[in-house]
Amino acid sequence: MHPDRRQTMLAGLAAGLSLTTLGTAAAQTGEIVIAGSIPLTGVFAFAGIGVNDGISDYVKIINEQGGIAGRKVRYIGEDTGYKVDQSVAVFNKLTGSNAVTFYYGDSTGFAKTINPELNRKASMIMAGASFATELNDPKAYPLQFMAGPDYSDMISVLLTYIAKTQPGAKIALVNSDTEFGRDPITTTEAMAKKLGLTIAEKIMTPPGSVDVSTEVLKLRRANPDYTIFHGYVLAPLPEFMSQAKQLGLKTKFMGTFWSMDNSLWAKVGDPADGFMGVMPYRYYFEKDPKAPMLDAIRKLRPEYQSAAYMQGFLTAMLFCEAAKRTLAAGKELTAANLKAGLNAIKDFDTGGVIGTPITISGNSVPVGRVYRFDAKQKMMVPETAEWIKVSKEGL
Amino acid sequence: MRIGALKDSYAADQALFDTRVQRVWLAAGALLLVALPFVASDYWLFLACLVGIHVISTTGLNILTGYTGLVSLGQAAFMGVGAYTVGYCQIRFGTPFLLNLIAAGLVTAALGVLVGVPSLRVKGLYLAIATIAASFILHFVFQNWTAVTGGTRGLSIPPARMFGHDLARPQQLYWVILPFTLLAVLGAANLFRTRWGRAFIAVRDRDISAEVLGIPLLKTKLMSFALSSFYAGIAGGLWAYFFRVVTPESFPFVYSIFFLAAVIVGGMGTILGGILGAVFMTLVPEVLKLVVGWLTPVLPNAVALLAPVRTIVFGLLIIGFLIFEPHGLAEVWRRIRRFFHLWPFRT
Repeated sequence: MHPDRRQTMLAGLAAGLSLTTLGTAAAQTGEIVIAGSIPLTGVFAFAGIGVNDGISDYVKIINEQGGIAGRKVRYIGEDTGYKVDQSVAVFNKLTGSNAVTFYYGDSTGFAKTINPELNRKASMIMAGASFATELNDPKAYPLQFMAGPDYSDMISVLLTYIAKTQPGAKIALVNSDTEFGRDPITTTEAMAKKLGLTIAEKIMTPPGSVDVSTEVLKLRRANPDYTIFHGYVLAPLPEFMSQAKQLGLKTKFMGTFWSMDNSLWAKVGDPADGFMGVMPYRYYFEKDPKAPMLDAIRKLRPEYQSAAYMQGFLTAMLFCEAAKRTLAAGKELTAANLKAGLNAIKDFDTGGVIGTPITISGNSVPVGRVYRFDAKQKMMVPETAEWIKVSKEGL
Repeated sequence: MRIGALKDSYAADQALFDTRVQRVWLAAGALLLVALPFVASDYWLFLACLVGIHVISTTGLNILTGYTGLVSLGQAAFMGVGAYTVGYCQIRFGTPFLLNLIAAGLVTAALGVLVGVPSLRVKGLYLAIATIAASFILHFVFQNWTAVTGGTRGLSIPPARMFGHDLARPQQLYWVILPFTLLAVLGAANLFRTRWGRAFIAVRDRDISAEVLGIPLLKTKLMSFALSSFYAGIAGGLWAYFFRVVTPESFPFVYSIFFLAAVIVGGMGTILGGILGAVFMTLVPEVLKLVVGWLTPVLPNAVALLAPVRTIVFGLLIIGFLIFEPHGLAEVWRRIRRFFHLWPFRT
């Protein structure tokens, strides 16, 4: 080969290599993108708006602190109307035009649908609004997690509280006849048996049902000490509680995370007095010297923020923590490394968003506290001082 | 200006596309459809596949509602039957996906005939209520026949396979959905040149007169239900392979309203109307999202702030069409064509 030509080729090769290196360096030092299929309209909009604000605010806070290892974090969310086809469309749109590292999904249906694509891409990890027990399986859903306990764990927190407060208590389960509602039934039965509690009645209500008078009569016959609702946001819980009070039932009503927002019950007022439930996060208005993150939230937003806001906020925090740990270990931000980084989170201080240090075991954060609605204060107040950690071992 | 199309044979008179200009545009459209997977992003291909599935289902409903005059609000539930049939066949028997799709069409068609039986006695709103009832019964079955449907958790379906390759992504499934859509549309267009198709129209226009003319009413109405459900079954089957998770919540009642709205907005009783209606109902919300996205540099939280506005605009667009063009988008398209045919003169 002619020396000049060889030199030109070598120079070209060197230039090409240096450009590739520069490109890789740019990719390594570029912004970290959190994207999301967010239900800003539709039946789940009340939660979607809160989640959207929660993620945005945490991203703002982390960027003001200089980002993650000098890299800025950017959040992009789009509305899905809480429809799986639109959620997948948004996923394709956002991941097609951005180098997405973290994704927020809006439903169990979406989480299940997108799982094969997520595994194929192997470039991002996902969390979301679903706490479905089915998703809490690292083998089937290796790149997903939930920023809280799964629905079975939530019921376990309630049962643990009941077993401690009133050993041998009688319980009634009221579930909506949906995937969401039916989710924890099997584990609840096993857990109740383990804790020596009796399940006196199981009631299944059709989705969207309003007239609950026959169900309340069933409840009257069973006369349980506690009635646990799952698979609802608000309706038909107030109707249930009003009718039960009119019939003179002494049962105490309980719910799970999506029916625990303070503003919902504040509007219901007196009939909601004494309603209890499991909450994986502290409420916006709680003041505690060990909760500086709540002060930061109140500074950003002086008005009340929903339970969904706290969920979005903590999800973004865990996303960023996973990225921080992965980069600190000198690894690339691939899905496998990020999930390993996430699972390395042990006894992590959330700045008081959760009142106890958390550990991510499997795909969830199995911890929660029981709160009670006080109609006089129009506020959810902690029923127990301690945060209850649960596990599925032995079930 | 074009004053007419000269036809010098019966074949030319019967042709679906009777002018050269039409054929040239169709060829250009076909080229565009073939080129799409090579130029479009994942997002646009996903939407193209979804539009294809919606076109098949809307065309099916158009046969029943637009051409035969039988209002149905059970299209989504019929799609569900198709989706579950595909899921069950794929998981239980592992049969080839084409066979599963045809099975989905046939099973749904048989069920459509059953649901269509009341149509001899009731029509209009009464029939709509009967189909709603059928739809709720089917949803109950989806939820409770756990051995077949997987209950509330539903079915997770393995990808369709062809020549040893998985068809899991929009890029691959596009080549399955596109031919099915074209076949469905061409099949429907040809149907209305046959005796059966003409009988559907006769029943729609005046069923008693049709019977006097010797058209067997029950048979014709049931045939229309069967065909419409066959289309829904195929669309549901493709939907199942596209999303690969089928649960009772995958085909809600509002999805049936979506298809009815697509038929009305597109133009009842026209093949083009079914296509335009499905495209409109699927893509306009996405286009509105894009418009909102453009405002983000000016208004940082535009996506969250304008989300409800977008829904209202979509609703207003549908109402606007119903008021200003009751014959639907197909009529708008016809007027545009007429304008160019007669140009420089005006109608």
